[in-house]
Amino acid sequence: MGKVIRVDMEKLTAKVEDLPKKYVNRGGRWLTDSIVCDEIDPNCHPLGPNNKLVFAPGIVTGTKAPNSGRISVGAKSPLTGGIKEANAGTPFAEQLAPLGYSAIVVEGVPKEKGKYWQLEIDKKGVKLNEAKTGIGEVLSKAYGELFKEHGKHVGIASIGVSGEQQLSAAGICFNDIDGRASRFAGRGGLGAVMGSKGLKYIIVDDKGAKGVEIKDKKLFNEGRQKLAKALMTHDVTKKGGTLNTYGTAALINVMNEAGGLPTRNFREGRFEGAEKVSGEAIKAACEERGGAGLMGHPCHASCIIQCSNVYPYEDGTEHVSCIEYESDWAFGPNCGIDNLDQIAELVHLTNEYGLDTIEMGGTMAVAMEGGLAEFGDGEKAIELMKEIHKGSPLGKILASGAVTTGKTLGVTRVPACKGQNMPAYEPRAVKGIGYVYATSTMGADHTSGYTIAPEILGVGGSADPLDTDKSALARGFMDTTAFLDSTGYCLFIAFAILDISEGFDGMVETVNGVLGTSWTGDDVARIGKEITEMERAFNKAAGFTKHDDRIPEFMKLEKLPPLNETWNVPDSELDKVFK
Amino acid sequence: MMKIEIHLYGRLRRFTDNPDPGKPSVIKIEVPGGTTINGALEKAGVPTDEVGTNIFLNGRYSSLDRVIDEGGRLGVFPDDMNLLYKWHFDKE
Repeated sequence: MGKVIRVDMEKLTAKVEDLPKKYVNRGGRWLTDSIVCDEIDPNCHPLGPNNKLVFAPGIVTGTKAPNSGRISVGAKSPLTGGIKEANAGTPFAEQLAPLGYSAIVVEGVPKEKGKYWQLEIDKKGVKLNEAKTGIGEVLSKAYGELFKEHGKHVGIASIGVSGEQQLSAAGICFNDIDGRASRFAGRGGLGAVMGSKGLKYIIVDDKGAKGVEIKDKKLFNEGRQKLAKALMTHDVTKKGGTLNTYGTAALINVMNEAGGLPTRNFREGRFEGAEKVSGEAIKAACEERGGAGLMGHPCHASCIIQCSNVYPYEDGTEHVSCIEYESDWAFGPNCGIDNLDQIAELVHLTNEYGLDTIEMGGTMAVAMEGGLAEFGDGEKAIELMKEIHKGSPLGKILASGAVTTGKTLGVTRVPACKGQNMPAYEPRAVKGIGYVYATSTMGADHTSGYTIAPEILGVGGSADPLDTDKSALARGFMDTTAFLDSTGYCLFIAFAILDISEGFDGMVETVNGVLGTSWTGDDVARIGKEITEMERAFNKAAGFTKHDDRIPEFMKLEKLPPLNETWNVPDSELDKVFK
Repeated sequence: MMKIEIHLYGRLRRFTDNPDPGKPSVIKIEVPGGTTINGALEKAGVPTDEVGTNIFLNGRYSSLDRVIDEGGRLGVFPDDMNLLYKWHFDKE
């Protein structure tokens, strides 16, 4: 039987309970969603006493299954006003699960403002102490001090200065495999929720942990081997494959050729400076500069794809980890910036302040649209970003995200759905992802249903990117993803398991091995559907209607060069996704 | 005759005069109407056995057999930069 840590921030208590029976076999997104839907009033203020913040490692997290170190975080989102689930790959997840904890539920808000607390978890139990380290500081400094105090082996979850200020672009930061403050449950302002609760850190020490219980070890091991084999065979995920060699930023050149790389705040689909900021260019910089520069870096111990990187300064010392596709694009092509060192600095500052790189890159582009800087002016963008650490009114506006910034500056071209800025795929050029942006319970979110795989990358079936009939494709991907987000597996295993059926079987077998269930592919679809429908019901109760499942108007009016496509999918087609 | 620009990536860049991945590696050629992408690559001296599955003609995802009916831009990625696994994708 799993355990739940319940933290009451009003009474300042932390206690351990048994996981309610109805949640048995649930993990990750399925479990955070279940608790959010059962315990939170959908009409509560996201930063008020009735919202709750829920953490849950996935079903197979903490085992030796490959790429299984994800942690899911859920709450009502201050950015979208709907349900939010964001997840991260981090050793923190792999430490929490072996201690027997299925979830952490943080509720209430402290009576005393301006003070922060830290939750400490180890084999002896849990305690809530006042946090005195790193308040108002950059996260790298805070993590350095915490590791000194608690030992290098612990896992840390935290908020940065943006979360302390309760701003809607704030994420929750976790440590990476080398102790950097760099892995984020980034989207939807979950850091602001954590800030509203006065919770600055969660520190987990798994020394002496019993490990994750595996009901059927033989089945688990068979499944694990099948999955690992699929990952090590597939061109995208294998050692020396595309992701391992070039990182996720391999997509910069591909999306640029496809005319779907959003450029200068979604004005164009192709960026003339794309190659300067591509995965190939990152790899070349790592090789030429040497030193700390590294491709093929894992974010957590069980990762065998290893798509992360460490980007060096010119002298070879470490600048930031990692420049992945979304972050690279958000501050690069989307802001018209073609200088990798400036992009690295923007990603670095975003991490240091505890923010979501996608939302902040999107915000910076909207700020440029609104006249705060010229497109392409990286130095000015860096200056603007620093306003957030100062806590200036401008900094607070920017860290509230693209929609708030757009309203403040009188900008109409704001590429957001349900209040959340779009990620690095142009919906006018890749229609299926537009369906997902519009109808996802999460707001514009590519990870809700990565239709790019079949639309551009040719994985998991076939689909013409400009075909407008994509409701079933979008729904199928959203449901399957909801299941994967519950297992604790990295979404990138999808590249391999959608193409190699033994890999898919292996994934299901590892889950059955841990739980003692006998689920099949049909159960994957059934459970995924149950999850997305649960999320839809929460959003409906929070006031969302079909009119919130829409693409911004400017995309219907403005043709996107070079394909010269508009968003030409009728609203009635979007409404079919969840019919 | 149609003018086309062939943008090459990864190790295919060595067939152009720019091997630097930070800059475009482009071959500009003219081909007669009815030429396939395969034919254009052969004329440009790019061995198609090194070409992967991400091929874009004017932003449209394409196969090697596609006939180039107007000029423009061809983007070609090598087989070790595949973001594709199988040829099970309907291409133009």
